[in-house]
Amino acid sequence: MADVLFQKVRKAFGSAVAVKSLDLAIGSGEFVSLLGPSGCGKTTTLRMLAGLEFPTEGEIRIGDRVVNAVPPGQRDIAMVFQSYALYPHMSVAENIAYPLKKRGIGRAERDAKVASVAATLQLGALLDRKPRQLSGGQQQRVALGRALVRDPKVFLLDEPLSNLDAKLRAHMRAELIELHRKLGKTFIYVTHDQLEAMTMSDRVAVMHEGDLQQFGAPMQVYEKPANLFVAGFIGSPAMNLLAGVLEPSGSGLAFVRQGLRLAVGDGGQAGQKVTLGVRPEDIALGSGPFVATVRIVEPTGHETIVIADIGGQSAIVRVQPDTAYAVGSETPFAVRTSRLHAFDSVTGARLDLAFALPAS
Amino acid sequence: MKTIAGRIAFNLFAWTVVLVTAFPLIWMILTSVKPQFELFRIPPTFWPEQITFEHYVRLIYETPFLKYMRNSLILGFATTIVVVVVATLGAHSLVRFRYPGRERLAQMVLFTYLLPSVVLILPLYLMMVWLGIANTIFSLVIAYTTFALPYALWLLRSFMQGIPDDLEAAALVDGATRMEAFVDVILPQALPGIISTSLFTFILAWNEYLYALVLVNTDEARPLTTGVMSMLVSAFNIEWSLLMAASVMMSLPLIIIFAFLQTYLTRGFGAGGVKG
Ligand SMILES: Nc1ncnc2c1ncn2[C@@H]1O[C@H](COP(=O)(O)OP(=O)(O)OP(=O)(O)O)[C@@H](O)[C@H]1O
Ligand SMILES: [Mg+2]
Repeated sequence: MADVLFQKVRKAFGSAVAVKSLDLAIGSGEFVSLLGPSGCGKTTTLRMLAGLEFPTEGEIRIGDRVVNAVPPGQRDIAMVFQSYALYPHMSVAENIAYPLKKRGIGRAERDAKVASVAATLQLGALLDRKPRQLSGGQQQRVALGRALVRDPKVFLLDEPLSNLDAKLRAHMRAELIELHRKLGKTFIYVTHDQLEAMTMSDRVAVMHEGDLQQFGAPMQVYEKPANLFVAGFIGSPAMNLLAGVLEPSGSGLAFVRQGLRLAVGDGGQAGQKVTLGVRPEDIALGSGPFVATVRIVEPTGHETIVIADIGGQSAIVRVQPDTAYAVGSETPFAVRTSRLHAFDSVTGARLDLAFALPAS
Repeated sequence: MKTIAGRIAFNLFAWTVVLVTAFPLIWMILTSVKPQFELFRIPPTFWPEQITFEHYVRLIYETPFLKYMRNSLILGFATTIVVVVVATLGAHSLVRFRYPGRERLAQMVLFTYLLPSVVLILPLYLMMVWLGIANTIFSLVIAYTTFALPYALWLLRSFMQGIPDDLEAAALVDGATRMEAFVDVILPQALPGIISTSLFTFILAWNEYLYALVLVNTDEARPLTTGVMSMLVSAFNIEWSLLMAASVMMSLPLIIIFAFLQTYLTRGFGAGGVKG
């Protein structure tokens, strides 16, 4: 059953449209990430769900209730802000107890719940401190504690890890996954970091310029990107996008561009402009029907990134660190045809084409 | 350039400025405790040869000084309360709510502050007469509000701009109503600003002379500024020693308030921003 439902939701600030027409159904207990570049409308989407912005059009449901006109405090949600938004004049304990206080929960019960949340998040020793006396990681845990203490139906998190250093971020990522598993509640997690989205989520909603591009499981988004934007956005280093055209070849079609020619099984029309998507790990240097020129070699230790020139366009290739490539040398290569992606260059939509290497 | 000599020079300079500024105050206090005959002696004495409090006693028992004092206190506190309550809510609205013409409104408010007060006196007086409240302390409260409010609004607005939006949003999500969020989160954050604004307004109301002179002409409503002048300064004679005693007593409430609120005040003017 859907726990959170956006139906044709649109949000405009004056003439600027932040969210275009969002349809999104999030299941109960799911961990969903809203992923996209800066300014794509992630925060706006989350704030509409929290009741801090009103949709210009459309309907938002939480559970089976339309919440468009429900004030934030009555939506049964808790939110962790990117800035943490801890109340500076209150102690850690008072911060965590505040949502309970506003719900008229008695002192004794409040203290007990704060103590239990503090124990979960290892905040016991910090309860009397003021937020400014805490480190970034500690502040983040207090913000989390303030959300946890109430046991809401849905947790909203707006880039909660972006202010932390890399090591703490990895640690908190694991803790959040653990927390989600333990609570079994719905988590909606905003991030522009695809590593976070891919590692933590059950499903990822990729957004761009106020539009939902694709909504699916991390591996699905990675292996079957719905369009050119998702293809280029998901994956690091990014997918190589090589523009070409479909030409008649024998009885069928072939994808042709400078330095590359692949036979196409079904689908497509002669003359159609097609962009070929190849992940860096799906190019095999060393042998094959095509030739690339090595431009840059970047060893990172566990792998080596080679930037090679394929028919006038640079492409990123991921190779084992044990083979050495000389800069400027020409090397033959092949592509893993079963793992290629094709997109219509004009509309950007994914095409289901089957490729084969040319018979040599 | 942090040499010892440099520091000494700086200190000397600072103390000179302090002394020059404070000298009239010191002279005022000394004069108020000198007996009448010592005042006009030539050459003048700096330290009184004889200390007397007779001027204070006369001021309190033989003149309407205490009545003026009461009026001034009522006037100062009432103006401060009205201005600060309205300005706090108004500033919050200007900062937090999006409505058409909000920037224009803020600018217009400042524009009224730019009008010289002399221009406003007559219309105000006519309005007070029309409302039937001429010659009351209340009319002065309204008059002072007209020129203290714009400035207070701007001061508090810049203060509240320093309070992150997310704080209020967090309170709303945590279950507070708009009013509760304002009281629980915004007010404590704006407190230093509210205190400096209160002080500013109180001083303005305490020292105002022109409006009080024009709008009020009974002892029942007259504040200290005009009261003391009309009582002690006439065309024929100025009662210097009484005037000095009155001046000392007029300064007292301000000095007491400053002493209590000094820490807030420096914090208020120093740090507009609040770290979230
Ligand atoms: N209050 C507002 N008034 C006007 N425009 C706004 C407002 N809030 C957001 N926008 C605009 O809406 C668009 C989406 O903003 P939003 O904050 O949702 O982006 P985001 O995806 O969260 O980006 P980031 O990753 O940088 O946080 C942006 O173009 C932004 O300029
Ligand atoms: Mg954002």
